[in-house]
Amino acid sequence: MLISLQWLREFVPYTGTVQALADRLTMQGLEVEAILDPFESISAIVVGRVLECDAHPDSDHLHVCSVDVGAGEALQIVCGAPNVAKGQLVPVARIGAVMPDGMQIKKGKLRGVASHGMICSERELGLSEDHSGIMVLPDSLTPGVLLVDALGLEREVLEVSITPNRADCLSVLGIAREAALGFGLPLSMPKLNLIEDVSAGHAAEAVRLEIADPELCPVYRARVLTGASIKPSPAWMRHRLLAVGQRPINNIVDVTNYILMELGQPLHSFDRGLLKGGVIRVAPATPDMKGGMAITTLDGQERKLLASDLLIWDAERPVALAGVMGGANSSISDASTEVVLECAIFRPGTIRKTARRLALPSEASYRFERGVDQVGSVFALERAAQLMAETSGARVMAGVAVAEPKPWVDREQIFRIAKCNALLGLELSPEFCRVTLTGLGCHVDDSDPVCWRVASPPHRLDLEREVDLFEECGRVHGLDRIPAVLPKISKSLDSAQTSDTVFGFLQALKGWAAGAGLREAINYSFVGADDLDRLNLPEEGRIRIANPLSEDQNTLRTEIAPGLLNNVRHNLSQGNGSLRLFEIAKAFREDAASDTGACENSRLGILVHGPRHAQEWPWEQGEADYLDVKGLVENLLTHLRLGPAGFVLDPGHPYLEPCVRVELAGKNGVALIGRIGRVQPKIADAYHARKDVWLADLDADLLRELSRAVKPAFVSLPKFPPVRRDVTIICPADLRAEQVEAAIRELKPKNLESLVLVAVYAPEDKADAKPERNLTFRLTYRHADRTLVDKEVDKEHGKVLAGLPQKLPVRI
Amino acid sequence: MLKSFLEGLDGLTLECEARRGQACSLKDLEALRVEFLGRKGKLAAAMGALAQMGPEDKPAAGKKANEVKNALGSLLESRQAELDAAATQDALSGFDPSMPGRRPAAGSLHPITLAMQEICEVLTGLGFEVVSGPEVENDWHNFEALNMPPDHPARDMQDTLYVSDRVLLRTHTSPLQVRTMLSRKPPVAVIAPGKVYRRDSDLTHTPMFHQIEGLLVDRNVSMGDLRGTLTAFVRQLFGANTNVRFRPSFFPFTEPSAEVDISCVMCGGAGHIGNEPCRVCKKTGWVEILGCGMVDPNVYRAVGYDPEAVTGFAFGLGVERVAMLKYGIGDLRMFFENDVRFLEQFS
Ligand SMILES: [Zn+2]
Repeated sequence: MLISLQWLREFVPYTGTVQALADRLTMQGLEVEAILDPFESISAIVVGRVLECDAHPDSDHLHVCSVDVGAGEALQIVCGAPNVAKGQLVPVARIGAVMPDGMQIKKGKLRGVASHGMICSERELGLSEDHSGIMVLPDSLTPGVLLVDALGLEREVLEVSITPNRADCLSVLGIAREAALGFGLPLSMPKLNLIEDVSAGHAAEAVRLEIADPELCPVYRARVLTGASIKPSPAWMRHRLLAVGQRPINNIVDVTNYILMELGQPLHSFDRGLLKGGVIRVAPATPDMKGGMAITTLDGQERKLLASDLLIWDAERPVALAGVMGGANSSISDASTEVVLECAIFRPGTIRKTARRLALPSEASYRFERGVDQVGSVFALERAAQLMAETSGARVMAGVAVAEPKPWVDREQIFRIAKCNALLGLELSPEFCRVTLTGLGCHVDDSDPVCWRVASPPHRLDLEREVDLFEECGRVHGLDRIPAVLPKISKSLDSAQTSDTVFGFLQALKGWAAGAGLREAINYSFVGADDLDRLNLPEEGRIRIANPLSEDQNTLRTEIAPGLLNNVRHNLSQGNGSLRLFEIAKAFREDAASDTGACENSRLGILVHGPRHAQEWPWEQGEADYLDVKGLVENLLTHLRLGPAGFVLDPGHPYLEPCVRVELAGKNGVALIGRIGRVQPKIADAYHARKDVWLADLDADLLRELSRAVKPAFVSLPKFPPVRRDVTIICPADLRAEQVEAAIRELKPKNLESLVLVAVYAPEDKADAKPERNLTFRLTYRHADRTLVDKEVDKEHGKVLAGLPQKLPVRI
Repeated sequence: MLKSFLEGLDGLTLECEARRGQACSLKDLEALRVEFLGRKGKLAAAMGALAQMGPEDKPAAGKKANEVKNALGSLLESRQAELDAAATQDALSGFDPSMPGRRPAAGSLHPITLAMQEICEVLTGLGFEVVSGPEVENDWHNFEALNMPPDHPARDMQDTLYVSDRVLLRTHTSPLQVRTMLSRKPPVAVIAPGKVYRRDSDLTHTPMFHQIEGLLVDRNVSMGDLRGTLTAFVRQLFGANTNVRFRPSFFPFTEPSAEVDISCVMCGGAGHIGNEPCRVCKKTGWVEILGCGMVDPNVYRAVGYDPEAVTGFAFGLGVERVAMLKYGIGDLRMFFENDVRFLEQFS
């Protein structure tokens, strides 16, 4: 909201600086975001007097002027405007001046005659659309004076950010009230001088008002003007509207905008000549069963209507979308002479619904949906009628046409000063509170000193509860002056048992991952449906965004992978070829059983790609592979005291190949912790990855649940020495290590403490034989209570050596 | 006889002294030791004469023999020390302390996580407990229970991404206030960190960002408590000299509401650095950091608390904003590109 300081000063005699006002308003809750100079772009233009004006020797339309600009010699300026004449005062842009359109004035020659500046039209100065000729200034001005000063243009405008609760501040009047409150100054309203002309008729006879539902429209007032002549508004009004960002249109429309900006009351003017039947009716739209009802608004757009839209009707048809925009069929045109000036209040929610549905926000609807002062609207109508009469020469009919089925009723709250002070942490005196509330326009009845009765003013629709009054007392005193104390945080015993939080677990996981040499990525929770399709992920279960910002953000990710894969693409494009990333985030799926319709599952994603180690001595070079990502998963499970896990081939995965299920045996059977795998090369290619992309996608919620159940338990250290025996087994290459291990365990050698794979060797393939590999296992035997003797170990170990070739196609 | 015996022993010492330098290895030295001090060595041979000496000469001869034995021992020992030192020197000659170490891969936490952890640590230190909740939310938890009925203009403050009419991506972490109060009786002191979503994307907004919500509800909690908590919080986060400013504002779920500015971390609140205007605070000396207020009675009604019996405060802050201020990150989009050259700066 733009507030002109000049305009403000008509309401409150503030004489301080604009900065001091801005600071005060900000600390009262009206944040001043900027202080602007609306006419900065023409601040270099000066007043000049045309001393001589001769025809150009080489042109039939150019003039060669000599212009006095105050200082120094008169400037020779070539001017093409038809209306330039000797003796005129005109706006002059000198050499070096930059015009509002960005053009810089340079010394030039027009058909051989030197020109040292430009005489400007109103359009060139951004003051109006008039480009028929140069702007001719009043004769009272002095050459050399800056145009902005000569015309008294506003130089200081506050850009104030108004929070939704402060509808009352959407006007000069509202900000003036706050300034008066902040600086202890009196507030004065403009003098009313409305002259009614009984001979023109009576408003109440000219239009008959009907309101269908008092809830939708508690009051509708209308003034009727006759004999208006439509023309541009006077300069002071146009300049003032320009200063606050409003485009002047004509004297009738400008007055409604002027009152809107000044008093916050939206008005609408109809051409009475176009209203049928002398009736104005406020009623909802009545679309027929086929949904066929529409209105063409001022801007020429046809708007489809619903029964929830409130309309203004004449005797036959809708003539305006109430509070949002007028209809094209009844609007003021250059030919209009008869005006019906509407001043009404509409139900905020109704206006908001219509304005939002039609994407038609306007200055009027913005105020109506936040609430307009029903009592103050009377004054706004009178002032608007007066200004219209003054600027258009119209006569104002006697009286006001009024329908007020729901008059304003004062709202009264209790106010307990003790509670106010307890909430704010202050010791405000009764005197301060009384002065503050009265200053806000409240009526205070403090006959009961403990519990006052306070009636809030009609322009403060937000003051409807006791706590709202507390806020006002705090705001005026200054929230920044409340003494700071540290609270004593008391806790229930129940909360003492809940130290182990989801957040804490996920943070601990992140700590593990960073310690394991992975870098944390954070991606958007939404991806494009394309991203999921590319991974061949199913359509079903996806949660789509109804109003996405873009198609690449239209679906919540059902897996952690898409974000990490996008990071691969980005990093490879930046030349970062070695990636060890992780992300902990939720995957989302439809779930009818959930109260939000969504199942949210925290996932831990790990992605490795490119060189396994930094490309530096002494690391051996090699590309990250299955064992790298599996090792990370195994390390994590050990970290969480889980496992050993089963790693089971999982053919047919949508985007991983090979894909390995990570399983943990638990009380309730086997739990699927997640999957490890290599992104299918074709898919990886779409992310510009030429080398293998290895991924682990683990269920972080499940990991938390399982690891919470495990408590560390101490086992006594062994007292007696172990006996170690290595065995090398020659196996077919397609026999899995876990199969050999399982077979050894099935042979149940007594006192076997541990079984570890210590070496793998693949001899060169012989052409005529199946490929083989040698697996060396180390078996450690130990007895808890005595030292084992070689003989008994030999016996048990012999069982393994003899038994294994019978169970598996292997040699020892 | 005694004389020649003594001279013979002195000769041993001289000979050993002369020859020990030729022992260039531990093996040589051992051979020398055997030659002089061994069971059949030169000293032992010389000592053989001791038995034939008269009793008057024996004490002097014995004493001398012991001296020579010790002298030989220390001669050989000192040579051993020399050889040891030389051997160590040899062993270290190939040692280069400047060679690169065998460095395991370095991991790192995302700067948002770092900021979030630090914020949570400070707040849990003040007595708040961390809670988590869903990111897909009901309209009721996200808006209605927080005093934002449908068609209320306050909803304009947060552009919302919807899943359906009544389900949306939470626009703030405040629904956790509602969920927590619905499931617990006062006193309640919780913080809720997490992802939030808005339909907004430009230089200063991303459609997903991170917030931390705080809520304290008890008997007799005042705005002074709020000021104290937040002052302590920002001073722990940004330094003990940080100033705090409360500006009245509006949030539908708090009354009174305030926005909190801190003195600019870049220019120290001066508004300029040297003669240059400060870009971080745009010359104001203040940086907006969070929103807060006293919980609105309508929120208590929505969750079944008695607004006459309890009071409390709530606050919320953007984690990206804190990370940008703390680490001097200028561009919001860097956070979600996950460029490893960016990530590794936070190792
Ligand atoms: Zn600064």
